[in-house]
Amino acid sequence: MRRALPLPFTVLAILGAGFVVLPVVALVIRVPWGEARHALEGVGASTAFRLSLEVSLAATAISVVVGIPLAWTLARITFPGRSVLRAMVVLPVVLPPVVGGLGLLEALGRGGVVGRWLYSALGIQLTFTTAGAIVATTFVAMPLIVLATESGLRSIDLRYERAGAALGGSPWYVMRRVTLPMIAPQLAAGAVLTWARALGEFGATITFAGNLAGRTQTLPLAVYQARETDPGGAVLLSLILVALSLVVLIALRGRLAEAR
Amino acid sequence: MRKATRIVAITLALMAAACSSSNSSTTSPGGGTTKLTVFAASSLTGAFTQIGIDFEASNSGTTVDFNFGSSTDLAAQIASEGTADVFASASGKAMDAVQAKPGVTGRTDFATNQLVIVTPANDPGGVSSMQDLTKPDVKLVLAAVGVPVGDYARQALTNAGILDAATANVVSDEQDDASVLAKVASGEADAGIVYTSDVSTAASSGTHVRSVDIPAALNVTATYPIAVVTGATRSAAAQAFVAYVTGSSGQATLKTFGFGPPPAG
Repeated sequence: MRRALPLPFTVLAILGAGFVVLPVVALVIRVPWGEARHALEGVGASTAFRLSLEVSLAATAISVVVGIPLAWTLARITFPGRSVLRAMVVLPVVLPPVVGGLGLLEALGRGGVVGRWLYSALGIQLTFTTAGAIVATTFVAMPLIVLATESGLRSIDLRYERAGAALGGSPWYVMRRVTLPMIAPQLAAGAVLTWARALGEFGATITFAGNLAGRTQTLPLAVYQARETDPGGAVLLSLILVALSLVVLIALRGRLAEAR
Repeated sequence: MRKATRIVAITLALMAAACSSSNSSTTSPGGGTTKLTVFAASSLTGAFTQIGIDFEASNSGTTVDFNFGSSTDLAAQIASEGTADVFASASGKAMDAVQAKPGVTGRTDFATNQLVIVTPANDPGGVSSMQDLTKPDVKLVLAAVGVPVGDYARQALTNAGILDAATANVVSDEQDDASVLAKVASGEADAGIVYTSDVSTAASSGTHVRSVDIPAALNVTATYPIAVVTGATRSAAAQAFVAYVTGSSGQATLKTFGFGPPPAG
């Protein structure tokens, strides 16, 4: 079935699509294919790729473990200040990541509110470590799993949970056997989106954790540094990120359709 | 089918219109204000911001916009976009790149800078000499390789014969001198190497770090060239700006921000 759109609308849509697609096409055009292998070695692509996987997967795991209970609380429990807390939790989505990085420095840096204590009592310094990169990435990516879980919880019929409870199921049992299976598609989509965001994290990581190959230099940071010394390598690295993210988003599109 | 053709035609027309309007009239006709765009090394941020204010005051009708960043980065931007009227670089190498493409006129050295070690005020790493940068567990930040101040710092470490030992202590390769200073000023890193001018600039804006001198025999002098970029749309104003920077009041401002005079000859 074809639906007609007003002509100006179609024109604007084509302009919009062109605007978004052009930079990606430009990257593909500018890739120095001939020296691709050499360029990738030069910019330390495999080290950055491995670290990016490690950091983004760890950040996603933490986000899922902490974010789902948080979303549950926000969706199911009424308490004073809930709407303020919800806004705070979602804030990292709209906040410039560099601001998040600064906040993390003031909180968890060696001289920070909590970090000072971590450092003096336990000798832990998060800045300049892979753990620090994971912390920064989690800060930026976690809201996505929270949002997905919360919208999933709000969309299901509460009567199923009540029925489960009335039949003698403990809250933990009802959660595991009734609620979680019902919102599984949203959880999966949320986790994948969280991972995709984690993979692209740059600003909070470089501000909080710094930039060192093999320790905190993830793919986006490697792209940023390669621009200085090896623009061709930077384009190649960018393309790896584009390809990875596209695969994730296309896979996710199928997931989202299923969830509906 | 005909409808599709029409859509494509309208889209193309819109795009053409958008392109042509952006190309036209970047110069201002007589009487209006001239907007000058100056690309400058991030170490010049404090000094050039002040010089810009003074220059505008003595050249009414001209406003100066600055784009501060790593010189290497700026050179690449100028080559690909060509929006700069004036380029002031922290290294001859970055200026060479711009001189090769798109070209420059009136290139002249206008300032020098030297390196200094900075630590947080409370000196958590116990760094009081250049050799101390090799002590185990000293968290050192440098600008990345390819960034002028990062290359100069590695040159100084090489001069001292401690390049390998010191780079083993590097915890972060930062994108410019301002980022190195920020990591040290926040107390996260134990030491960093920046320009002497960075320390004066930081102090004037209330950021206090402790500095440790690098012996003169091991120090590296960075020479800053400035030039009008070929194809500059406001070349008269660009020449006036370069003359102002190399003139007495520009030089006096640079001196208060910790820069040395250009090399003689």
